[in-house]
Amino acid sequence: MAEPGASPAAGGEASRGMPLRVDAEVVAAECEGGANHRLRLAVPGWRGFLPGQFVMLSPGALAAVPRTDPLLPRPMAIYRAPGDRGEIEILFKRHGRGTALLAAARVGQKVGLVGPLGRGFPTADPGERAVLVAGGTGIASIYELGVRIRAAGGAVQVLLGARGVDDLMGEADFVSAGLPLRIATEDGSRGERGLVTDLLEQELRGDAATRVYACGPTPMMRRAAEIARGSGAPCLVSLENPMACGFGVCLGCAAPLREGGFALVCRDGPVFDAERIEWAGLP
Amino acid sequence: MGGSAVISRPELTPEEVDPRVDLGGIALRNPVLTASGTFGYGTEFGPFLDLRRIGGFVAKSLTLEPRFGNPPPRIAEAPSAMLNAISLENVGVDAFVREKLPALPEGVTVVASLFETEIDRYAEAAKRLSGAPRVAGLEVNASCPHVKSGGIEFGQDPAVLAQLIRAVRRATSAPLLVKLSPNVTHIAEMARVCEGEGADGLSLINAVQALEVDVERRRPVLANILGGLSGPAIRPIALRMVWQASRAVEIPICGIGGITSAEDAVKFLLCGASAVQVGTANYLDPGVAGDVADGLRAYAARHGFPRVQDLVGQLETGGR
Ligand SMILES: Cc1cc2nc3c(=O)[nH]c(=O)nc-3n(C[C@H](O)[C@H](O)[C@H](O)COP(=O)(O)O)c2cc1C
Ligand code: FES
Repeated sequence: MAEPGASPAAGGEASRGMPLRVDAEVVAAECEGGANHRLRLAVPGWRGFLPGQFVMLSPGALAAVPRTDPLLPRPMAIYRAPGDRGEIEILFKRHGRGTALLAAARVGQKVGLVGPLGRGFPTADPGERAVLVAGGTGIASIYELGVRIRAAGGAVQVLLGARGVDDLMGEADFVSAGLPLRIATEDGSRGERGLVTDLLEQELRGDAATRVYACGPTPMMRRAAEIARGSGAPCLVSLENPMACGFGVCLGCAAPLREGGFALVCRDGPVFDAERIEWAGLP
Repeated sequence: MGGSAVISRPELTPEEVDPRVDLGGIALRNPVLTASGTFGYGTEFGPFLDLRRIGGFVAKSLTLEPRFGNPPPRIAEAPSAMLNAISLENVGVDAFVREKLPALPEGVTVVASLFETEIDRYAEAAKRLSGAPRVAGLEVNASCPHVKSGGIEFGQDPAVLAQLIRAVRRATSAPLLVKLSPNVTHIAEMARVCEGEGADGLSLINAVQALEVDVERRRPVLANILGGLSGPAIRPIALRMVWQASRAVEIPICGIGGITSAEDAVKFLLCGASAVQVGTANYLDPGVAGDVADGLRAYAARHGFPRVQDLVGQLETGGR
């Protein structure tokens, strides 16, 4: 059973550089069709991140955000850090007040940033075989992971899922990074018709030597975990629980564990061994 | 009094203003603390804030044994506010004393908060915590359901509250603050009860009992159904309660509720609070409490008050 308030190692490495609390400057802001948006932020003092880590973003300079509606900052996966020059990219969907305000941010404006936060994915084993399966905004959590596993000599297959083609994020980036890609959409408007977890079943086919990495809606991750278990394959998931703080003090992001008790998604995760999660207790 | 013109005083520099305050025997370098449950055990803020910039912090409420909290969802948003139903989750008194306190930098003022489900357990927790090095004072969180009263909060029944404070007072000679529940009809009565039982100060308010609904699923948004509302939306309620309590008692008051800026903190001082606690705002900006502390001193300087304490109770109400 997990100790209340303890930090169970989530399979992360010595993963936490000191997080920053800064006002970042928007250097590029694009709508990529549908509700999909991309922000590129210049972050003073940025010292890099691990795939799977995230930032808490507020729409405006920290001291100047009107804390009305919404009150809270939004957790956002760090998509990538192009060019290693202190800039990071965020891919997100506009689906509520918070993300609408971030989507409205223009070049030159400030965005309050706290991060990088959380433990990232564990370092890939040299030469490992990995299937990365992601849906919805979960796609933003796995791009950099795929790039780094491949750079470490691993073999990567990426599976992306979306409701329809308008929902799909980042496809062109995966293609230009040369990551082998298969796509499933529920309406068949892009790639194969069906669920991305159907693709996972085909890819895995009882292969216990491949590592599965999953990020997306809870039912998708839960299904991915089942498929991996069925193959005897290890599976890591990156959970996307709602968060208030992002650094372990509000206790709002708790995920129930099979061993009993809870883990904090922001502090102990967001990456967990899928076998530790009590899926039935996750909303 | 009675004039409507605000007396104008010569402006000072912030360095000329004395920010110190004594909160019921707890010496604070300035009146800005952070609220229990919003500041973890202090160490989490190391990367974001030099804890010596603030008066001190109130640690997450502790029970005798470590406890788990409620199932998720535990939090939800509302306009200018959030709801939470964390319940009693904490590391327990012993782990706090053994592991959390020693991990803090020197020179940080720590107030230990405690809650329990029975009076003798509160008293035991108070005893153990007041013996701990580095604990400058205690805050009794009275917003906890009392098992024997059928789940109503200790702080909701004046007789039960009196028994609780009497028992805790007997168990400790440390500076003792009582954190009042706002979920009562007469806050002044609760304040008087605590003063009568020997409390050294009052902290108010705790989160306001609330409910939010997911219409599509026709369900409460929180698994616990009810939660506590916090954030800017509750600030005017908190100001009202601080004002009422401060007129009812002589002991100092620590004002809490929706503080996000120095101006918000000034409002609480004007309404009679000697100090304040920043709560939910720490989630939005983990460095904000330092800015509130600096800004409070700057406000006092701008308005010519040589001590931040000179602001306390200076609300001009035309004699009413
Ligand atoms: C997630 C959360 C957890 C809290 N936990 C505690 C607690 O353990 N003990 C306590 O006395 N107050 C607790 N509070 C109440 C705060 O200390 C504070 O009284 C309340 O949030 C109002 O202030 P605010 O509007 O500045 O947040 C908690 C509040 C929140 C939002
Ligand atoms: S989001 Fe606050 S503890 Fe995880």
